[in-house]
Amino acid sequence: MKVAVGTAVIALFAAGCTQAPSTPATPDDSGGELRIYASEPAFLVPTAADDDPSIQVIRQVYRGLVKYNPETGAAENDLAESITSTDNTTWTIKIKSGYKFTNGEAVNSDAFIRAWNYAAYGPNAQNNSYFMGRIAGIENMSSTDPDGEDGPQTAPEPAAKELSGLKKVDDLTFTVQLSAPFSGFPATIGYSGFFPVAQACLADFDACNETPIGNGPYKIEGSWQHNIGITLVRNADYAGADKGKADKLSYKIYADVDAGYAAFQSGELDVMYTIPPARYQEAKGQLGDRLYEKPSNTYTYLGIPMYNAAFAKKEFRQALSMAIDRQAIIDAVFNGRFTPAVGVVSPLFDGYRPNVCANCKLDVAKAKTLLEQAGGWPAGQKLQLWANAGAGHDAWLKAVGDQLKANLGIDYELVVNLEFPAYLETAGNEGFTGPFRLGWGPDYPVVETYLAPLYGTGGSSNNSGYSNPQFDNLIKQGDGASTLAEGITFYQQAEDIIVEDLPVIPMWFGKVTAVYGDGVDKFIYNNISGVSYGEITLKKS
Amino acid sequence: MFLLHYVTSVGIQLSGNPVRALFGDRQPPQSLIDAISARVGLGDPCLRQPFNPCFGLFWDRLTGIFMNFDFGVNLRQRDVTDLVFEALPFTLRLAILAFIFEAVIGVAAGVLAGLRGGSFWDYLVKISTVLAISVPVFILGVTIREFLNVALGNWLRDQAWVPDVISVGVFSAGFKVDYPWASTIMPAVVLAALSLATTARLTRTSIMENIRSDYVRTAKAKGLTRKRVIGVHTLRNSLIPVVTFLGVDFGALMGGAVITETIFNIPGVGSLVARSARSGEASVVIGVVSFLVLVFLLANLIVDILYAVLDPRIRYD
Repeated sequence: MKVAVGTAVIALFAAGCTQAPSTPATPDDSGGELRIYASEPAFLVPTAADDDPSIQVIRQVYRGLVKYNPETGAAENDLAESITSTDNTTWTIKIKSGYKFTNGEAVNSDAFIRAWNYAAYGPNAQNNSYFMGRIAGIENMSSTDPDGEDGPQTAPEPAAKELSGLKKVDDLTFTVQLSAPFSGFPATIGYSGFFPVAQACLADFDACNETPIGNGPYKIEGSWQHNIGITLVRNADYAGADKGKADKLSYKIYADVDAGYAAFQSGELDVMYTIPPARYQEAKGQLGDRLYEKPSNTYTYLGIPMYNAAFAKKEFRQALSMAIDRQAIIDAVFNGRFTPAVGVVSPLFDGYRPNVCANCKLDVAKAKTLLEQAGGWPAGQKLQLWANAGAGHDAWLKAVGDQLKANLGIDYELVVNLEFPAYLETAGNEGFTGPFRLGWGPDYPVVETYLAPLYGTGGSSNNSGYSNPQFDNLIKQGDGASTLAEGITFYQQAEDIIVEDLPVIPMWFGKVTAVYGDGVDKFIYNNISGVSYGEITLKKS
Repeated sequence: MFLLHYVTSVGIQLSGNPVRALFGDRQPPQSLIDAISARVGLGDPCLRQPFNPCFGLFWDRLTGIFMNFDFGVNLRQRDVTDLVFEALPFTLRLAILAFIFEAVIGVAAGVLAGLRGGSFWDYLVKISTVLAISVPVFILGVTIREFLNVALGNWLRDQAWVPDVISVGVFSAGFKVDYPWASTIMPAVVLAALSLATTARLTRTSIMENIRSDYVRTAKAKGLTRKRVIGVHTLRNSLIPVVTFLGVDFGALMGGAVITETIFNIPGVGSLVARSARSGEASVVIGVVSFLVLVFLLANLIVDILYAVLDPRIRYD
């Protein structure tokens, strides 16, 4: 262990040296072919792709207005010259000149307006239309079926084909009007769903999906070989300073993570962003510091059906939360691969405060008192714990149930027979009869993403049915604050309400477990956008 | 076909629209779900009425498949025909290699054991085939991958004298585009193992039976060479049950590919089925199965023709 720390320190010094301004940027930190473990992407057009495998490729082929600082996660301008607003509602975006798509089209204001309109227009069925929801005019971009799903009529054509909130000022300037003020807007548009798209791409969507027309430091070689691989090579015309380190990025597609790990072990892959859970201990022993671990943003919680009278009392919810020993479950069931949640905001986010949730730590004595205050649990009745079937949630949910039984004397039963789609429908119909497992991944690096959608009145993923005017008000104040930093203070107050009220029982945040091979010199991980494949350097052979 | 259609439809009726699962924890607007469902052919309202047989949808699918050669699209809106034709070459390569392996080695081992009943070879074949039959394919596959392809392979890759086609190709942990045939050898061995054992045992029994028959004794008495007695008179007649088995088994090979292809990361029909079944993509499963039925029928047609070649007494009028 000491040796590992020593080398890490040396590596830090070395990194510091190469970044010193006196040393000219030497070309010998780049080159080579980086072989990357990948899964089959869903789409390679930014407006359509909302899954990790797709975004990992899209982030190298396309570039957006904003990127995220690898260490702090803060938003920094990328293609944007400036993003300004006086009222947090109307944002003026200026784009840097000189950027081009690989087909020669200029990356101008039209490229962004075109992409966002295309994503938002309902009949295009783009997965990222959801993310355009804050822009004014979104409600006219889709229409609902007049006589419900089961009726014979089909939905009429939407009232508008373009978002009324997007206006072109000149070639490199456009304005975005939001439906309500939001101080965090600049941070949201670093998500790949907001990346620009070429005219030619939308003219022939399918062709562009196979052979992307990008504007990033890398471009595709040949076309997407489905289920086999995607090869990216340097885009010589890329105008930005961050031209990418490796000459070639080869994404090799595996249907099964075990098969991928076997390939990694036989030296056919340089980077894997995940490993099979069963190989974790072995990998830790074999790879040493080539196993990269960090808390991640994926959040798992047990939702409470607030629409059910049995869970109405705050003390009861607190008692449940305090009777669970999260770390013990993580160690026993998951080999320690998670970080216990002591709050409802990711530890990697700007605005995170450690240990904010006093009710999220094991305290059996206090839990018992709280349960008594709440009037106890009806004897003989079983607490139902819900999870979706076939996803391996049974084991830890059973551990939770066992702890509740041991610490509070509440008997439980698992309800784990619904497939994911049906499970989500049950969530939408407020059909849960007990605590239910769900998760959340952030949409953009603003703490608001962990609060408003999950607990705001009518929030898009508010499955608990929680509604608190005070909370809604704080979110509104945060959205309307003059700076993001000021907004964060309001968001933190909103978080305080949640950890006291506990409409969900926070369980844990995930852990990134990436591995990299001998040939990798410097492994770079971005807290927000994941492994930065373009920034990874290879050793000179 | 209808059964398959019905099972997948009831699956969707009972477990919900797979399109909703694409969005995970996020609740997308209903209009978006409707738009995507319509695109992937799951927009029919009958899919929300439990146990409704969805005749209308079945008819649409049938006409699509047989009149327009349109198998629909998967959840990612790609044509199923494209998916299958992309995957088919990989599976065919695997099946052909496995089939050769199974036929050549299986028959050879069977002949060797059948001719020398009770000898060392006979016991070797008997014991090894029992072993092969009793180990499930996925255990054999994972074991070979971990121990031969990764552990032994890594050692081979360090040795300068081993040519790349062996160390990087044959002993590759999974399928490699650079060595399409070499890297399919190991998966083919795994896929063939079970059927190979059955083939060897069938051949052995059949040979033992035929070698005592009258016509073989006659042939021997006529003073024919041993080569001709075994090769033409005995083996040819003994192969009829074996060929029947091989024909039926070709279909099983395509099925066994589901496991083998997943283990060795071959982007073929088998892994396509595995992926689609997992994500509830009914149209893909139906499309692939239709193709497999065709392949199966073709294999059995060849078997029927081979009967006549092997045994002149069988005639088709």
